[in-house]
Amino acid sequence: MSLPCGTRNYNYAEDMGIVRTKTHWVLLIAFLVILFTAPLYFGNYWLGVFNLIGITLIAAIGLNILVGYCGQLSIGHAGFIAVGAYTAAILTNRLEMPFLVGLIGAGVVSGLIGIIFGLPSVRVKGFYLAITTIAAQFIIIWVINHWSLTGGFVGIKVPYASIGGLVFRSESSQFYLIIIIAALCVFFAKNLARTKVGRAFIAIRDNDLAAEVMGVNLLYYKLLAFFIGCFFAGIAGALLAHWIGFLNAEQFSFTESILYVGMIIIGGLGTSIGPIFGVIFIRILQQLLTMELVPFLESTFTNFPAGFATGVTPMLFGLVIVLFLILEPRGLAHRWALFKSAYRLWPFSY
Amino acid sequence: MAELLQFVITGLSVGMVYSLIALGFVLVWKSSSVANLALGQIVLISSWFTYSMLAQAELPVYIAFPLVVLFAMFLGWVIERFALRPLIAQPILSLIAVTLGIGYFIEGVITFIWPWSVDALPRLFPREVIHIGPAVISQEYVWVIVICLVVFVLLTVFFRYHKMGIAMRATADDQMAVQACGIPVTRVFSTSWMFACCVAAIGGILISSIGGITHGLVETGLKAFSVVILGGLDSFAGAIIAGPIIGLAESLGGGYLTPYIWAGVKDIIPFVIIIIVMCIKPYGLFGEERIERI
Repeated sequence: MSLPCGTRNYNYAEDMGIVRTKTHWVLLIAFLVILFTAPLYFGNYWLGVFNLIGITLIAAIGLNILVGYCGQLSIGHAGFIAVGAYTAAILTNRLEMPFLVGLIGAGVVSGLIGIIFGLPSVRVKGFYLAITTIAAQFIIIWVINHWSLTGGFVGIKVPYASIGGLVFRSESSQFYLIIIIAALCVFFAKNLARTKVGRAFIAIRDNDLAAEVMGVNLLYYKLLAFFIGCFFAGIAGALLAHWIGFLNAEQFSFTESILYVGMIIIGGLGTSIGPIFGVIFIRILQQLLTMELVPFLESTFTNFPAGFATGVTPMLFGLVIVLFLILEPRGLAHRWALFKSAYRLWPFSY
Repeated sequence: MAELLQFVITGLSVGMVYSLIALGFVLVWKSSSVANLALGQIVLISSWFTYSMLAQAELPVYIAFPLVVLFAMFLGWVIERFALRPLIAQPILSLIAVTLGIGYFIEGVITFIWPWSVDALPRLFPREVIHIGPAVISQEYVWVIVICLVVFVLLTVFFRYHKMGIAMRATADDQMAVQACGIPVTRVFSTSWMFACCVAAIGGILISSIGGITHGLVETGLKAFSVVILGGLDSFAGAIIAGPIIGLAESLGGGYLTPYIWAGVKDIIPFVIIIIVMCIKPYGLFGEERIERI
């Protein structure tokens, strides 16, 4: 890690520190203050968008650990989110458990399902694993649609989240709930990458055979990656369930899974800041397209068949994913790193 | 008995279509080791294009069909030239993700042009039913089987005798050696994409002539992956043999299991087969097991 001029390491703890200089601290605290006072400046509409971003971020961080760090390609992430969402819904609605039990239960159940579908990863990788996770997605959605416990095609209602007597009913209270959990997840993911586990993941990603020869237990770490990735997905699903208040398998389609892969690619695989950029980019773009561009196109070109403009969103998303892969495969995180180093060195070029 | 025969015939014909679509995948995988996950969307858009030619432009079949083939070839060429060519020798993750992106894009295009999302192709095959023993089967299924067999034979002949076919087999075998022999590998890649889209388009027309054009065709394309997995990723014979197996499993399972499990179990059988094959024999029946060196 490159440091500003004059900042030196005197011991190992300093060397490992994430937040190093006074400027870092100031920026971090200022960012957190702005984040936590956001409900003061934004209306309900934008808070809703932020909530969605926060929920998506948690799931994307999980996927980034699985795909970006451990290299186990998963294209069924929406399925695992669905598992979490429905677990939370069943626990809180049908069994009337408290919210926190539902939240943790959703994570654990989702993680266990992830381990089951991750089992083939011990023997296969790459495309085979991608297909397995696609199959997982379809099987999960099918079970949800047909099991009486999940409400099937009709859907299931989910009560508001509540801790003790505190009920998270308004957008702003849910914003705090979601943002705190999202921040914890970001913190966890950032630190995970620096631990033994994180380094084992990276070794597996770079070459799993070499990692095995070096003494990394492939079975354990691959399944652990699946567990962590799907645990995050489950947490995100539970929050999504309580936030929307109503679940239907339509919300967890295969295209949503592709979108998650797109997000972490656009953000930058295997970086801690990547998912944040990717999620914000995709969700804001989605919001702008569906709220602004699509109604505009629909009202301007009335002689086209109805509903044509909804195709614009997937078209642009597909295009963005393809263009990022071709032109900037390291994602927005790479651009951010370039910007930071340029800023640090300014006015010199190196 | 009549029921069984009916299930077998429908299963075989749907399985043959899966084989066709899977062949499209295997073609691309063998020549350029790109996993084409946009197959479902390619199937869907070619069916819609056929619909436009036949029902909207009201062209006769003998003009419409060559146009569809041309369109599919063009689609394959565009995808290879503008999305895959810049990514040659990239890690498998980018290659898979880029085809996912293409699929997403094509889905948008489909919604953009044909937003009503469900329609039926005009009748391609005669309407009368056939009686085979006690079973009553609509003629389409038999036609589908016949057309699939014809396409298989054509492809086999092409790969055995045509110069490009031989070049494609050679590229699948050893890319470096082929390049050293002066065979333009990039042209082989784009030809394989054109062929793949063509075959997928034919499969799409056949299956949508039976079941109509719905978004479910994307799922059909994905189900074809179970054929690829069962047969082995790099085996033409595997794809041709595994297709009917999957089709039979789907139709027999759907026919006999539905009373015992939830409805719609038919749609899930290929995916369950994928998981089972992955756990037991991940490289499929005829696939070549890759042995890696560090």
